[in-house]
Amino acid sequence: MQNKIDELFKSELVVVNIGPKMFGDAVRKQGAEVIQVDWKPLAGGDKEMIAILEALGGI
Amino acid sequence: MNAIREQIEKANEKVIDILLNSQPTWVDVKPAGEIIPGFEKNMLLHPGPPFEDVNDIVPTLRTSLCGSIIHEGLASTMDAAWEMIKTGEVAIKPAQDYNASCAAVTVISASMPVIVGKDTVFGGVGYASIHPGPNPKCLRWGFYDEDVEKDLSWFRDVFGPALGEAVRSMGGINMKTILARTAGMGDENHVRQPASSSALILELIPALLELKIEQRDDVIRAFAANDRSFLHVMMAGTMGILETARNVPMSTVMVAMGGNGTEFGLQFAGTGKQWFSVPAPKILGQLLNPSWTEADLAGYLGDSCVTEIYGLGGFSAIASPAFVRLTGGSFADAKKRTEDAREVSLGEHLFAPIPWDDYRGFPVGIDMRKVVATNITPTSHGGSARLVGGQGGAGSMLVPMDCFKQGLRAFYELVRG
Repeated sequence: MQNKIDELFKSELVVVNIGPKMFGDAVRKQGAEVIQVDWKPLAGGDKEMIAILEALGGI
Repeated sequence: MNAIREQIEKANEKVIDILLNSQPTWVDVKPAGEIIPGFEKNMLLHPGPPFEDVNDIVPTLRTSLCGSIIHEGLASTMDAAWEMIKTGEVAIKPAQDYNASCAAVTVISASMPVIVGKDTVFGGVGYASIHPGPNPKCLRWGFYDEDVEKDLSWFRDVFGPALGEAVRSMGGINMKTILARTAGMGDENHVRQPASSSALILELIPALLELKIEQRDDVIRAFAANDRSFLHVMMAGTMGILETARNVPMSTVMVAMGGNGTEFGLQFAGTGKQWFSVPAPKILGQLLNPSWTEADLAGYLGDSCVTEIYGLGGFSAIASPAFVRLTGGSFADAKKRTEDAREVSLGEHLFAPIPWDDYRGFPVGIDMRKVVATNITPTSHGGSARLVGGQGGAGSMLVPMDCFKQGLRAFYELVRG
């Protein structure tokens, strides 16, 4: 198990960044490969609206 | 799929079919009191949502309302006219609730001629006043005096009947054809439409030349000297389309949009004639006089944005980089405005592609679920009114998110029973 963890830390870093781009940009500037996933919370995080959207069967 | 969602999707498909496949056609010009169902003599139509308290009416709209009452011969002074509004002797109603639309500070009274826009596929009929032309002193911008009265009378007695006769003699003018012919000519067709207005003039002038009336040349001169005439024609056409679209229950598509200077509101097909309103934001961009400030402007005032429900204006921003520049935006902003509208729309018109947007069409059918879910609200273009009367500027405004949230909440309450 320990070997596998060592292996992971020694391998080339590939980062998946979800949401705010600036976090991914900071890692990219340090030379790592970053895969950006554009994501933002549903309805801007408005819980009442999320519940209504779900009750209406989503979108 | 959730049963409610299935019903919504089916209803929305129907609305999109109407929006995409309708054929808005200018078929006539008639006095409002004769042609608009439910119109009464002691009644005025105004832009935007209804007023709960007439004391909230901004001065420029008050001038248009009172001037219209004098124009109808119901009062002889502005004070007496205002009293009739305060007592309810003259009823003031939102134009869009009558399938009509009032651009800027326009008010429609019984004898005023209105453009009749018929959707020849689904049968809906809508109305709008005739654009008054380039003279800035007009009722449309909240002015009323002897000069304005003279113009209103000429429109009622000469210009309106002449346009009606010419259009009838042609069997109507198809608005989609005009939009298709002028695609890629720089119009976004809400605040800027020199190309489509010119195309309209080219269509109508041969019929106007056949009129056997004394003031024929004056009519032609007035119509040909106006590069904004197509806006009001398209407003009537859009209202005709929306008459059918707004009657589809369970649809989450936006079917009304406008401001009364105090409040700005939206309606959705599935929630009937209920308005979802917020304090009217201002249209910001370019002021027409450097000594004016934002404080001089009324809140969003006008119904001409109904054309945006059809996908024009801010939703078609990429079609008119020149206008977006005027609002303080760049070419990239123009593209983003259209892309944002696409993100929250259910359909795309393909009959008027924009070459510099990869020949994409313009988005149509704003779905309130998509707006709320993505937290993306579309941008509207418009002209702004000064509180004291006159056009203050032109620019853009984000359609308020809260109107969509209110709508979605009401829709949910309705389907939940």
